[in-house]
Amino acid sequence: MAEEGKRQERKKRRTATEAASSIGAMVKAAIGGTVKAKEEGKKLAYSFIVCSYDEIIRAMDVVPVWTENYAGVCGAKRDAERFLERAESQNFSRSLCTYALCGLGFDQWREELGEMPPDSPWGGQARPDFMLSSGQILCDPRNKWYQAAQQYMPDVPIYDVGLPYPLYEDDIEVADVQDYYIKYIVAELRGLVKFLEEQTGKKMDYDRLSELVDLSERTWNLIWETYELRRAVPTPMGTGDAMNTMVPMVFMMGTQEAYDFYLDLNRELKDKIARKEGVVKDEKYRLLWGGGLPSWFALTDFNYFNSKGAVFPVETTYRMIEPIYRLDIPETNDPIERLAWRWIRYWTYWYDKARKRPGSEPDVERLIQYIEDYQIDGIVMHEAFSCRTFHLGLIWQLNQLRKIYKPIPVLILGQDGKKKEEKRELPSLILESDIIDISSYSEVDTRNRIDAFIETLEQAKTAAALYK
Amino acid sequence: MNEQNSDILSKVEKYYQNYGLRAKELKSQGQKIIAYLCSLVPVEIISAAGFVPFRISGDVNEPITKGDTQLETIACPFVRSCFDVSLKGRYDFCEGLVLPHACDSITRTYSVWRYSLDLPYSHFINLPHTVRGPSMDFFRGELETFRKSLGRFAHKEIADSDLIEAIDLYNKNRDKAKALYDMRKSDPPLISGTEMSKILTVGMSLPVTESNELFAEVLEELTQRKEPPVRKAPRIMVDGACIDNIDFVKLIEDSGANVVVDSLCIGTRDYLPHTDVGGDPLDALARRYLDKINCPRTYREKAEGAYEKDLSARFGDIGSLGKEFKVDGIILYVYKYCDPFGFEVPARKAYLDSLNMPVLYLEDEYSAGTIGRLRTRIQAFLEMIE
Repeated sequence: MAEEGKRQERKKRRTATEAASSIGAMVKAAIGGTVKAKEEGKKLAYSFIVCSYDEIIRAMDVVPVWTENYAGVCGAKRDAERFLERAESQNFSRSLCTYALCGLGFDQWREELGEMPPDSPWGGQARPDFMLSSGQILCDPRNKWYQAAQQYMPDVPIYDVGLPYPLYEDDIEVADVQDYYIKYIVAELRGLVKFLEEQTGKKMDYDRLSELVDLSERTWNLIWETYELRRAVPTPMGTGDAMNTMVPMVFMMGTQEAYDFYLDLNRELKDKIARKEGVVKDEKYRLLWGGGLPSWFALTDFNYFNSKGAVFPVETTYRMIEPIYRLDIPETNDPIERLAWRWIRYWTYWYDKARKRPGSEPDVERLIQYIEDYQIDGIVMHEAFSCRTFHLGLIWQLNQLRKIYKPIPVLILGQDGKKKEEKRELPSLILESDIIDISSYSEVDTRNRIDAFIETLEQAKTAAALYK
Repeated sequence: MNEQNSDILSKVEKYYQNYGLRAKELKSQGQKIIAYLCSLVPVEIISAAGFVPFRISGDVNEPITKGDTQLETIACPFVRSCFDVSLKGRYDFCEGLVLPHACDSITRTYSVWRYSLDLPYSHFINLPHTVRGPSMDFFRGELETFRKSLGRFAHKEIADSDLIEAIDLYNKNRDKAKALYDMRKSDPPLISGTEMSKILTVGMSLPVTESNELFAEVLEELTQRKEPPVRKAPRIMVDGACIDNIDFVKLIEDSGANVVVDSLCIGTRDYLPHTDVGGDPLDALARRYLDKINCPRTYREKAEGAYEKDLSARFGDIGSLGKEFKVDGIILYVYKYCDPFGFEVPARKAYLDSLNMPVLYLEDEYSAGTIGRLRTRIQAFLEMIE
């Protein structure tokens, strides 16, 4: 296999914040830490982000190995191709989730060699003691990836945690179904605790778990408050940076380090706002990253947007928190129940709001709220070909948004020769590529599309200015 | 292939070529049709409510056009085709739509279907991913929610007795399907794979009582056959997800083999498992749809011991069918962008290899054009078997 020499040139992205620029070292240390933890005999678990089990793992002193993160690192370093090819050679279709393919290719290689593959990015991904799958309402690979990995690691057990949430329906309120959803999630999380106790030989310390859940909830509130600072004009931080600052949110929840990180970010953003220091000097267009995971190998595209005066004060991707005090979580001293309620309340947070606007839907309602809160001029999404989870429904969301929400007033010439007011929708752009697979990406084509979109934004601005 | 004509097979042909014709007629007679996608929707509940369940079918001969204006091309091509023909109005006679939590391509597009088709009724059934006790309890809760929701739309309370009656009718349907499968055990089989695909596909477009009558008449017809419709040839099993057309099976048979059994959604995966009787009907339906239907979207705990034992536990039903129908080779046919099946391909192949069963793995898109391009590989595989 001609795996060497396939790594491609990578340009480092410019960050606007110190916090974002510190993330690379943090992730590198975390990945290196898992390898070291393995050597020290600690228990390692292959884990997925956003599975509501972070605090449980931490309370049991289990070291999470975030497999999506490692695949993302391989992608960002433009060194995923050799692992993708490995997976393909094992009969995994290249059309499947490329995070999973990258991970499976890596696992197969590591298990074949009995050691890390040569020149593994950042020291490689450590072999787990067990794997924590997740049966959610979204993401088939979370349910299938580790099962497939067992082919290479048949001695490594799996616990698959059921974490459903109710989909939005016209005739059913969350309150109608939440009791059996909560009961199920609580049972599944208790099952996870039992599994971890068996695997580690330790008993869960529920007081410690409660402390970690409290810490996470404080962190959720702090992140929300911090990200809301980005409403400022000019915005002090864009989505490019947010693709870094999401790291503590999704990989370090339930740690003091995560809380402290957002405390520092909060201070930094407030300082920037006081100095009126934005992502770009002359902020012309404020954009919403309205869906889709980024191409980790092409984060410099955010810099390209910036070079045109376009900034992203807000994104739906990796904003996996809402303010806890708005989630209406019932009082309970049981940290497991609290995790279950937080899960359901987070995923159904926009349902009530969507019901109030005919033709709306939670994902669309969230876009509208961000458009208004952050004074948005246009929407950009990214369709990653290998991930159905986060990338199906984007076209429809934009179509539906156009139908029900036209915020731009313009004057047009009527047939009678008189000027009349009309409302227009926001300009939007869907970029197409992948999260990991660089072969799907063309920098020239992408930037041509961005250029055309910027022209559209300019025309919309001109039309709106004429109205005023 | 020497396909024999008769009144009943002509009727099958008519309903196959004009998929949905009977449902449309029933609609004009005042009946309400509820469309659904995938084998994981408990059709018994729809029937018990007094509606006609109608399984949405795609069309390999229809280019996907309108659907692509609403749905990303990265969805499973089968789901895309189903959505495209629905959006073009082919199933406008339907009053409602029920989708299950099967795979991302179905789950993540529920809103797209719901708003784009704008039907009076829609519902999503959330299946958990494991078959543990709490999962069964949860799924029963979901089925109860569906029963209540559909009952509101029907303006009737769906009683246990209604469910028991519907379960009985569908179990009879599965008995008849099993009897049809048994006709394929002889060599050569008494019914071709192409004929069988038509019959099973049509069966899911009819009210269960009519499907039962149709299957009974087909069985009666087949018992009178003096000559098998096909010659002796390599006996092939097709393993994969949902095939709702004859094109792929016909290609295999035209290449010189007999397709004698399958492990497909419109096939043994859905048609063979019965619903238990005698207990709580919703408990029984939960067990059938979550546990008995062996779909890769449902995670099954790894069996104790060696990895090979786990493979046997997961795929043993395929091996059993292979033995029972004395197959000479298996074609594993998986759609591009299908995560549940795609992640299982190496494991499925490993299991089938362990049975010393020749296996051909094909990844395809849902299109007559791409199916035709598989001919050479299928012919080479059959030559290898012979």
